[in-house]
Amino acid sequence: MSRAVGRTTRRVVESDVCIIGGGITAAMVAERLAERTGASITVVEAGERTASLDERSDTRARMLAYGENPWPNDHIRGQTGTGAMYNSMVVGGAAMHWGGAVPRFSPEDFRLRSLYGVASDWPISFDDIEPYFQEAEERMGVAGEQGPPEYDPRSKPYPMPPLPLSYSLARMREWTEKTDIPFWTQPWARNTEPYQGRDVCRRCDTCFVCPTGAKYTPDFAFDRLLEAGRIDLVTRTLVRRLSLEPGSDRIAVAEAVDRDAPDEPVEFRAGTFVIAAGHAWSSHLLLLSANSRFPDGLANRTGNVGRYMTGHWYLSGFINLPMRLYPGMFVYNSLLSRRFASPGPLDRYVRHDLRLWESNVGRAPRLTGENGQLLWGDEIMADWRARTESESSARVRAYYDLLPDRDSRLTLDAGRTNELGDPMPRIDYRPAQESIGLQDHTVETISGRFEQLARAAGGSVRSIGRPSELWEHPGGGCRMGNDPATSVVDRWGRTHDHENLFVVGAPTLVSGGCANGTLTFCALSLMSAEEMQKELPSA
Amino acid sequence: MAESRRTFLKQSAATVAAVSLTGCAPGERAAETEGDALSRTDGTTPVPLPAATLRGVAEAVLPDELGEDGRERAVRAFERWSEALEPVAELSHPYLVPEIRYSGPDPRPGWAAQLEGLEKECESRHGVSLSDLEVPGRRELLARPLADTGPGLGAPQNADHVVAALLAHFFGSAIATDLCYGRAIRRELCRSIEGAEEEPAPLGAAP
Repeated sequence: MSRAVGRTTRRVVESDVCIIGGGITAAMVAERLAERTGASITVVEAGERTASLDERSDTRARMLAYGENPWPNDHIRGQTGTGAMYNSMVVGGAAMHWGGAVPRFSPEDFRLRSLYGVASDWPISFDDIEPYFQEAEERMGVAGEQGPPEYDPRSKPYPMPPLPLSYSLARMREWTEKTDIPFWTQPWARNTEPYQGRDVCRRCDTCFVCPTGAKYTPDFAFDRLLEAGRIDLVTRTLVRRLSLEPGSDRIAVAEAVDRDAPDEPVEFRAGTFVIAAGHAWSSHLLLLSANSRFPDGLANRTGNVGRYMTGHWYLSGFINLPMRLYPGMFVYNSLLSRRFASPGPLDRYVRHDLRLWESNVGRAPRLTGENGQLLWGDEIMADWRARTESESSARVRAYYDLLPDRDSRLTLDAGRTNELGDPMPRIDYRPAQESIGLQDHTVETISGRFEQLARAAGGSVRSIGRPSELWEHPGGGCRMGNDPATSVVDRWGRTHDHENLFVVGAPTLVSGGCANGTLTFCALSLMSAEEMQKELPSA
Repeated sequence: MAESRRTFLKQSAATVAAVSLTGCAPGERAAETEGDALSRTDGTTPVPLPAATLRGVAEAVLPDELGEDGRERAVRAFERWSEALEPVAELSHPYLVPEIRYSGPDPRPGWAAQLEGLEKECESRHGVSLSDLEVPGRRELLARPLADTGPGLGAPQNADHVVAALLAHFFGSAIATDLCYGRAIRRELCRSIEGAEEEPAPLGAAP
């Protein structure tokens, strides 16, 4: 539908639900609402489609050969913020090139204040979110191994059996069994059985571009929904602001620009609006949407939008193992322990996971020998063999919980604008004072566990790096809570200030946990969809 | 052992090309022929590398255990890789880095000039072409450019010198890994998850 407004033709798209963003949380919400309601659903994505499944073998080949980006057109030039954030703006979002690791957050993650006296409790418990963890695992197709129930609680089995260990990983698992630290395998959103019409994993070892479709990516869900006629997917269309109904706090319109016709504004009108734009662009859109009634941005009556930006840091190291391994047979599988994410009572707070990979660190071919002499041909090969015949390397890493400060913050950066003149987001992460005070204790504790692992193998720690300060698997900015004074959305992701506006997934995190976040983002989105359903026409 | 490695190289020549360049064996769903997988898309014609000099270099720096056939295959793989290289290409995005990165300018004119320079230096100092010089003499000539390379072998496209690029291309390949370990690890080959736990077969015994 098009309406003439003054001299400008304004295109209007109406639906029951307008989902802003086309990544993995959008796919989860769209799929659930499409199945369980009769609502009309529009998904608006600023980016476009990237390599199809048929094209991924070619892009993979060039990535392997030259390091080229295997996902063409996966970002928008100039639509770039400052600080650690993804640059993906594409149908499928950052989950097009994810590795597919899907551990659950632990029960403790939701009760940090009650259990340990740090940070904040979430307004939901593990038991509240557990059914949605399961649903998310079933929607994407997760292959996993049940770990010890006290560290890996779940009410139902994984949808698929786990990926097999490689020869190297099997030997490494034997090593870990000599410790009192239980290890099992990382759960992955990769098929070990045909699932939803997609192939079984072929261990190509380039999971960030899977050429077989065994790894879940959100484009598969969107394609199914499009084929069934259950959604409209509007691409290359950037939502620039949300505006209110006159005299009301309800959202009336998402105002957008068609990147192919920038002079023709697009209005998305809906009964329910869902911001599914990830940890950076969700807060950004709310801040951009400031108006006379909400001068600091929508959903920001209490000034919490953009605050408590969170994630986790990690400590990484390498261990020399007195055993021969064969790195390269199945690099993208790993061993996992969640033992220390559920540590029980603690004198001082430290929570982390542990994961192990095969590695060739220190055992790659090199041009100079031990004394710095240049090596040639057979000498290079002999030197390489000598370093791999009886010893190997393992990579060990611990994601640890880092508690966000209120001023860990996303703001609008007036000094950096896109081609439309809109200020871009800037994220300045900041750990809470209590986390800074725990830093040395955390590093010391984790380093001790690396040493413990190495000793059990009869090996040695080769190196331990400095803590990564990257705030991995970021979230926050619209954190959930029962008290509007300290949060942006309620337990369902509904904004406190606008009854028909939801923010889903990563932005609603209270704290970043010590596990990859994507499964939790998806589970939270499905919880939100459950609440939305109540007000939508039935199927 | 050397013989079994050569047999392996000979028997798996077709596979090697596909594995090292596309990671997928013929017949696999994701398989492509080498030419298809690494076809150029920018429509330009790259500067060719002087073939004889490149082979003269290869004989001095690649392992003898490859044999002549194996060495020639390694050189041809490098040439094909070089022909399909596209400068200033968008690179894979590092995790959580919003800025887009691009590869460097075309290294091939410089590489070709380096090979021509080596040839001229060899003729000037020894009165013969590089390929006709004894291997120790060639290595003496090649030591200088390699001296600044550092101990590691990075990505070949980032190599300042063509000799380092050739070495990085070969020693970074799946076939070099297999030769080192004497096992058919077949890095980055798409294959069934069945049998993943088995120790990789010795070279020559692998199907």
